[in-house]
Amino acid sequence: MTRDEITSEIIRIFRDQFEIERPGLDDDLRDAHEFDSIDAIELLREIEIMLGSELTQAEKKNAMEIRTINDILDYIELLSAARTTGNTIPN
Amino acid sequence: MERRVVITQGSAITPVGHTKDEIVKSLVEGISGVKELRPDDLLSDFIHCGVFGTVDYPIAYDFKRLYRKTMGPVAYYACQVAKEVLEASGLNNDFITSGRLGVAFGSTHGSPTVQRQIYKSFFSQSRSSFSSIGAVDYLKSMVHTTAVNITKMFGITGRVISSSTACTTSSQSIGFGYETIKYGMQDAMLCGGADEYDTTTVAVFDNLLACSTEFNDTPHLTPRPFDKQRDGLVVSEGAGALLLEEFEFAKKRGATILAEIIGFSCNNNGGDLILPNMDGITATIKLGLKDAEISADSVDFVSAHATGTKMGDVIEAQAMGRVYGDSPKVSGFKSYMGHTMGSCGAIETLITTYMMEEGFIAPTLNLENIDQRCAMINHTRELSESDIRIAAIQNFAFGGVNTCLIIKKI
Repeated sequence: MTRDEITSEIIRIFRDQFEIERPGLDDDLRDAHEFDSIDAIELLREIEIMLGSELTQAEKKNAMEIRTINDILDYIELLSAARTTGNTIPN
Repeated sequence: MERRVVITQGSAITPVGHTKDEIVKSLVEGISGVKELRPDDLLSDFIHCGVFGTVDYPIAYDFKRLYRKTMGPVAYYACQVAKEVLEASGLNNDFITSGRLGVAFGSTHGSPTVQRQIYKSFFSQSRSSFSSIGAVDYLKSMVHTTAVNITKMFGITGRVISSSTACTTSSQSIGFGYETIKYGMQDAMLCGGADEYDTTTVAVFDNLLACSTEFNDTPHLTPRPFDKQRDGLVVSEGAGALLLEEFEFAKKRGATILAEIIGFSCNNNGGDLILPNMDGITATIKLGLKDAEISADSVDFVSAHATGTKMGDVIEAQAMGRVYGDSPKVSGFKSYMGHTMGSCGAIETLITTYMMEEGFIAPTLNLENIDQRCAMINHTRELSESDIRIAAIQNFAFGGVNTCLIIKKI
């Protein structure tokens, strides 16, 4: 997936799953949209479905530092790249 | 320290209405909220009972996603009645979040609808975890989901009590809330219970041959507490919330006082977990009167648990006969709406305050021919104008748990 395609999909997930319309790519999701740790866990589940691949515990813990949509896009690109080489993101 | 405790607000979602006017209209006009059981693709095809006390009107929820995301159907009911009570109370946000207000709220088993989804994931053929249990499923389904979704929504920081004792869940909520204020640990308590539409509970009672099955084509004719033709209970859904406040605090702020709670008892039969127990129930009623420091002949009205089961009604009537004789009028409100399980104590207490306020006593619906084994008490057969001064609300649950609340008009 290209970054644009990933962006579209994430924006759709935010709209459908979290009722957050058009979040700014650099918005602090917690401050601007009340996106909390429970939502982050739900988002990881959506990312697993998007990639068709389970995330490791280490990968999930890494995601807890994510604050913006751009952070999410970076994270998914990293995951995607690791999966194409048959790897996971190291700690 | 012992302080007086009063009920200052109430709200209920019931199969016979949501607002006070709707509920009173159903009581006065003898309208039943029992309907046909809805198919659920799981249990309904195997259950002999074909009726359910159903909330079939729309409720205009306006909860933000921040709150909705941890709520199953049971929490929607609970938060809605809690919201209505707090909004009508006039309590300001500083007090609500001060730690002086607590919550006593429960349900029979959290959200069975969400639990079904979880079990589906457990037992699905897929071995993949990423399409299974959601992060919030436990928060939606857990047994104290009603209480803590209420605290979250309103920022309540006081005590939390979340009883889960089936049919005595919300009578315990009120009783424990009353004691919490009486002994000075909180100045106000938001008390109640809720249960959602659920065929699992029907299946439990059906399996024990305790459900009504003979009136599947005429749902409004069952349950029939104390009637010769009664054939079991009818499970239903609903929610009830009451705001309890310390009397001087309520008086000072000019709150409307619906009734004073003057007594509460809770005991256990100390034996069988299912069978009704005459000695246990008799003791509950006596303990309630003792706590209220009143004699049995002071009680004008008893809201009976009266589920419509074969033996439960007989034992309850005989226990009431032992203590009260045939003095107070007795009605069973499950005859209108079925057994709202975890919310029945709160709903029946609220209905009793409505009758206190409006000066009437609603009869037991479907009581056409009194079973002679239940005939020793003063059954309410017709709608009557009556000034209730002191009323008892009694509830009994699986597990041998019994409660008796005593309230007084002031």
